[in-house]
Amino acid sequence: MNCDMIVEKVKQAVIDAGSTFSPDKTVAYERAIDKETNERAKWVLETILENSKVAEQNKSPLCDDTGIPHIVLEMGPDSIVTGEMLKAIRMGVKEGLKALPGRPMALKGDDKARIDQSGGISDLSEDVLPSPILLRETEENVTRLSILMFGGGPAIRGKTYRVFHKHSTQVVMDEIIQWGKESVSLLGCSPCTLAVGIGRSHFEASALMLEAMVDGNYDVQSDMERTITEEINKACIGPIGLGGETSVLGTFLKVGPQRASGVRIVSMRPCCCFEPRIATIDL
Amino acid sequence: MKRLNTPIREEDINDLKVGDMVYLSGEIYCGRDAVLPMIVSQIDDWKDKLQGSVIFHTAVSVAGVGPTSSNKLEIENSIEPLSKAGVKLHLGKGRLRQDTIEALNDHNSIYAVMAPVTALLNDKTISKEIVGFEELGMEAFHKLKVIDYPIIVAAAHGRSIFDEL
Repeated sequence: MNCDMIVEKVKQAVIDAGSTFSPDKTVAYERAIDKETNERAKWVLETILENSKVAEQNKSPLCDDTGIPHIVLEMGPDSIVTGEMLKAIRMGVKEGLKALPGRPMALKGDDKARIDQSGGISDLSEDVLPSPILLRETEENVTRLSILMFGGGPAIRGKTYRVFHKHSTQVVMDEIIQWGKESVSLLGCSPCTLAVGIGRSHFEASALMLEAMVDGNYDVQSDMERTITEEINKACIGPIGLGGETSVLGTFLKVGPQRASGVRIVSMRPCCCFEPRIATIDL
Repeated sequence: MKRLNTPIREEDINDLKVGDMVYLSGEIYCGRDAVLPMIVSQIDDWKDKLQGSVIFHTAVSVAGVGPTSSNKLEIENSIEPLSKAGVKLHLGKGRLRQDTIEALNDHNSIYAVMAPVTALLNDKTISKEIVGFEELGMEAFHKLKVIDYPIIVAAAHGRSIFDEL
């Protein structure tokens, strides 16, 4: 695939990620609406689903916080990625943000000015730069790119921290469930999807959390994922925190290699009602 | 389902209670962290315009509008002085502090929340213009004309929906 084709494909992926629900997410919402008995909660879920249909039809943003692009690149045995291809991927992201359009929220200025926001805000959607690319191997003979758009609310409520497991998986599960209850109740944009990575370092746990979003599927939930979802839903926080049975739509969990030690590093992102906003393409 | 139009009258507030599902129409103001403290610091210049008004906690950009967390420090701290100045409805998302709920009640003002349904809101927004602090870009003080925004009353008359769950 030449670089022009990569730019165009990545551009469309950014638009799709920002405007389209995956089929399994749509089904998860339909299931939740059928099951929900709280009148207000049902109305909110129906409104979110209606919003997704309008966004997909108009190819317009699901949410005004269009998010920061995060990229996961999977490489198969024969995959070759050049510097020119990486440049084309970045160009495709810019073109996608221009077309969506992404919210112009890149800050201008030096280190200090970018922290205190004193240098002003760029008025160009495409100035929002993607985060560093996460690379992983795959057995499939492909070069596969996933783009995820990360909003600010889940970033405020997310957490990466150590858990002393006391040689019990249940201790770690209980901690995740407790973090989930706290963060979902504060988020304001539920129902959530909890993305969780468990690794040996903060970097690894965060990377696993990102991979969990790429691999996660609402129709295929492990016992651990289902337990986390069910336990948090018992708190009846509900859509946008107004009560009801649907606080969490599903959990996407990835457990990496662990070290012989009393500590696990857990990274958790309480994805908002639209996240993971993701599109995947083969290059 | 209730309907509410701006400017909002005292009796409109008296008719609303926590949990009401409402369609909101009319002219509404928009601001968040950056601009609301500035409005508060110049409150005498804005009082006339704010009578019976709505403040929607959102940025206004080419991507559209959608509620941000109303419990961010600068936003929540603006609710009491803006209510005192005549704002009748604060629209955003998330739980507010008890002292804010009481301040709303003191001024017969209410708080409502909505899902961040930007694509839907775009179809329900008729016009938008900047009315103050243009230099703040998407965070400037904006005025929108809207029709049938779907909102839920989350705090009114000293009660909060979040405390009743």
